[in-house]
Amino acid sequence: MSHLAALGTYLPTWGEEQDRRPGPDEDAVTLAVAAGRAALGCLDEPDVDQVVLVSRDLPLLEGGNAAALLAGLGLPADLPVTEQVGGCPATLDVLTAAAPGTLVLAADLAPAGAAAALVGADGLEVLPCARRVGSLPVQSRGRDGVARDYEDARLGWDRGGLAAVSALDLAEKPVVVAGATARQAGVLTQGPAPALPVTGASAALFALAALADLGETGVAVAVEQASATAVRTGRGTTRLCLARDEPAAQSPATLRETPGPEIAISLAAYARAFDAKLRWEAGACDACGTLALPPRLRCLECGSEEGWSLAPLPRTGSVYTAVTVHVPVPGLPTPYSLAIVELDGVDVRALVKVTGAPAGGTAIGDRGRLVLRRVALRSGIPDYGYALLPIDTDPTTEDI
Amino acid sequence: MRRVAMVGAGMTEFKEHFDLGIKELVPMAVSEMAASVDKGLDRSDIEAAWFGELTTSDGFPAGILADSCGLLDIPVTRVENACATGNDAVRNAMYAVASGIVDVALVVGADKVRESSSRSTFWEWAALTRDVAWDYPLGLVAPANFALHAARYLHESGATREHMAMVAVKNHRHALTNPKAQLRFEITVEQVLRAPTVVEPFGLYDCTPQSDGAAAVLLVSEEVADRYTDRPVWVRGVGLGLDRVMHQHKQDMTSFPPTVKAARAAYAMAGIGPADIDVAEVHDCFSAVELISYEDLGFCDRFGAAALVESGATTFEGSRPVNLSGGLKAKGHPPGATGVSQNVELFEQLRGDAHNQLDTPTYALAHNIGGPTAVSAVTILSTEKD
Repeated sequence: MSHLAALGTYLPTWGEEQDRRPGPDEDAVTLAVAAGRAALGCLDEPDVDQVVLVSRDLPLLEGGNAAALLAGLGLPADLPVTEQVGGCPATLDVLTAAAPGTLVLAADLAPAGAAAALVGADGLEVLPCARRVGSLPVQSRGRDGVARDYEDARLGWDRGGLAAVSALDLAEKPVVVAGATARQAGVLTQGPAPALPVTGASAALFALAALADLGETGVAVAVEQASATAVRTGRGTTRLCLARDEPAAQSPATLRETPGPEIAISLAAYARAFDAKLRWEAGACDACGTLALPPRLRCLECGSEEGWSLAPLPRTGSVYTAVTVHVPVPGLPTPYSLAIVELDGVDVRALVKVTGAPAGGTAIGDRGRLVLRRVALRSGIPDYGYALLPIDTDPTTEDI
Repeated sequence: MRRVAMVGAGMTEFKEHFDLGIKELVPMAVSEMAASVDKGLDRSDIEAAWFGELTTSDGFPAGILADSCGLLDIPVTRVENACATGNDAVRNAMYAVASGIVDVALVVGADKVRESSSRSTFWEWAALTRDVAWDYPLGLVAPANFALHAARYLHESGATREHMAMVAVKNHRHALTNPKAQLRFEITVEQVLRAPTVVEPFGLYDCTPQSDGAAAVLLVSEEVADRYTDRPVWVRGVGLGLDRVMHQHKQDMTSFPPTVKAARAAYAMAGIGPADIDVAEVHDCFSAVELISYEDLGFCDRFGAAALVESGATTFEGSRPVNLSGGLKAKGHPPGATGVSQNVELFEQLRGDAHNQLDTPTYALAHNIGGPTAVSAVTILSTEKD
C-alpha cells in the first residue's frame, strides 16, 4: 500500500479534447516533466528521493533521459531514476510498491499525456487488489521500432483486456478503467465510466485523478492487452493535492517538414550547457551577483573572471521582440515563432521558441511561462531547452 | 600615416554563377580591376593581398587567390568577419599601405553562396555565427536574426512595412542600369507587401537574393599613386565596430551599435561628419536594416528613417542617394564580395564613371553589418586627398 500526497496531470494543447497529440517540441521526457512540475508545485516542500518514469515511448534507449528528467523537474542530480518500459498496469504496480518520497511519472505519445504521483507518508491510500499478466500482442513494436497491428480489435478485447479483468475476480465493480475505450470501460464499471484522455502508462494516474475528482474511493483497473492490475483507493488522514495542467485543445497547426541535412550537434557544447539550459539557471557572478544567461567566464557587468554559481531564473516574462519564420528550414517544422523574453524581476533576456500556440500569434508585450521543451532533434539527440508558453494560465489545483 | 589611394576597381556580375567556381570568379574580378587602372598594372608590383571570403566553398582561400591569380610570390591573408568581411579586408589593406610597409596592396572579396544546396546553406551559415548549444538549434536563420531587430524597430519607431518596402522599391530601381546587378527589374510597394512571408516582418522582396560573385580593388600609397592614375580616389576613413554576440545581450535592438562605432571611427579618421557624405552604399540585406542604418550612420535622427525614405532623399534624384548600385537587395550579396563591391561602385561614382552617375560627389561611404548583428565595417572614400 502507498499514499499519494500529490497527483499532477498534463495534456498537450494539440488535438481533440480527448485525443491529444504532442507538439513538435514534446516527447515523453518533456511531457513527464510538465506533469511532474504540476504535482510538485502542489506542495510547499515536496520530498522526493527517487523518480520512476513509466512509458513505452522513452526518447533515448541508450541513456540520457534520466538527467534531463531530473534537471527539468529541478531535482538534484544524485537521485536514482528508474526508466521503466510499461503501460498502465505497470504504473499501478510501481505505485503500490513505491516507498514514500517516490515520484512516479508516466508519459504517453499517442494519445499524448502525462501524469505524476508523489508517494508520501500520508494522503490518498492506494492498495493493490489483484493482478493478471498475460500475453496477446495485438500491437507490437520491437527493437526495430516498427509498430505493427494484428488488426483484430474484438479478439484483442475479448481474449485480452476483458479476459484479464475477469481473471482478476474482483469482489466489486471498478469505478474507473484505464487502458480501455469508454465503451469497453462502461461494460465493466459500476456507474458511467469516467472518460480518460489517454490509454497508455499515464492512464493509470489519470484514472486515480478521475476517481478523486468524483469524490469517491473505490476500485481502479488498468488494462493493457492481456494484462490487468486493480487497486483500491481509500481516504488517508491528509488530503491529496490534485493539480491539472490541461489547456483546452486546439487543432494542430499545419506544419511543414523539410527534409535536408540533420542539424549537427556538438556533445562537448551540449555537456557544458546542460545544467543551465535544462534547469533554467543563469550564472551569477561570484563578485557582483550579475546574472548571465548563458553563464560566462567574464561577468557582463563587472568584468570579474573569478567565477560564477548557478542561480535559478524566473519562469515568467514578457516578450521584448518576436518574429515568425515561414521559410522552410530543414529539420525544423515551419512556421515557428522566436521571441526574446524579458524575465520578470531580473535583468535577463532569453531567446526562445514559442510553444503551445499557433506560430505568429505572439506579439511584443505578451506574457508567458517558460517551460521545458525539446528544442530540436539534432542528429537523433533530443536537445532540450526552454520555450515560451504564451498562455499565462497556471495549473488548476484542488485538495481532495 | 601615409595617404592611401584606390586606383583600380572591378567586379564580376553578381548572380547564380553555377557555371563558374571561386577559382574562376576571383581571377576574373582581379583582371577587371587591373583593366580599370588608367596607366596599367604590372602584377609584379602587387606586394600583398587581403582576401575576404566568408565560406571556404572550394578549399583553402588564401592559396586559391594566390594560385588562381598567379600571385604565388606575395603574402595573402584571408579575412573573415561575417558580412563585414569585404570592408574589413579593405581596412586591413589600408592599414598596411598607410603604415609604410606595403606600397601596392590587392583587396579581393568573393563568395559562392549557391555552391551548396539552398537547404544546406541554412545550417552551414547559421553554424558560422550562432552559439552552437543555445541559439543554433532554435532555427535562428539569417532573416530571423535581423527580423528580431526589425520587429522591435517597427514597434518603437512608428515606421511601417510600407517604409521597408520603399527601400526595396528604390534599390530595385537603382539596379536597373547596373550591368553587374542580379535583380534588374522594378517592383512596387504593393508587390513587396503581397510577397510570400520569409520571416515576419520580411516578405520575399524585403530580402537579398543568394548570390555568387567577386570584387577587387587596388590600394596604393600616395608616393606611387601617380604611376597608376591621375584621378585616384582616396581611402579617407575606415572603422570596425563590434557588439555582444547573442541577441539576448543586446540592450537596444532598434539600433546596431557596431555601425555606430564603425562609423564614428571612420568619420574621425576622415575628419568629416555624416552631413558631408554625398553618396553611400549601405548594408540592406533586409529592407529594415537600411532604415536602421540611416540612423546609426547619422544620416537622420533616431527614428527619423521612415520620414527620410518617404521624402525620397535617398533615391538617385534625392539629396543623399543610398545604394545606387541596387544595394545588396538588388545587386546581390555574396558576403565576402559585398563590401569590396560597394567600394567598386563608389570608386566609379567618385571618378564619374558610374551607371547612375551623380553630379561630382566628393565623399562616399560604404557600410556592412553582419553576423549575429555584432560586427560592422565602414569605409569612407573621397576625391579629396585631405
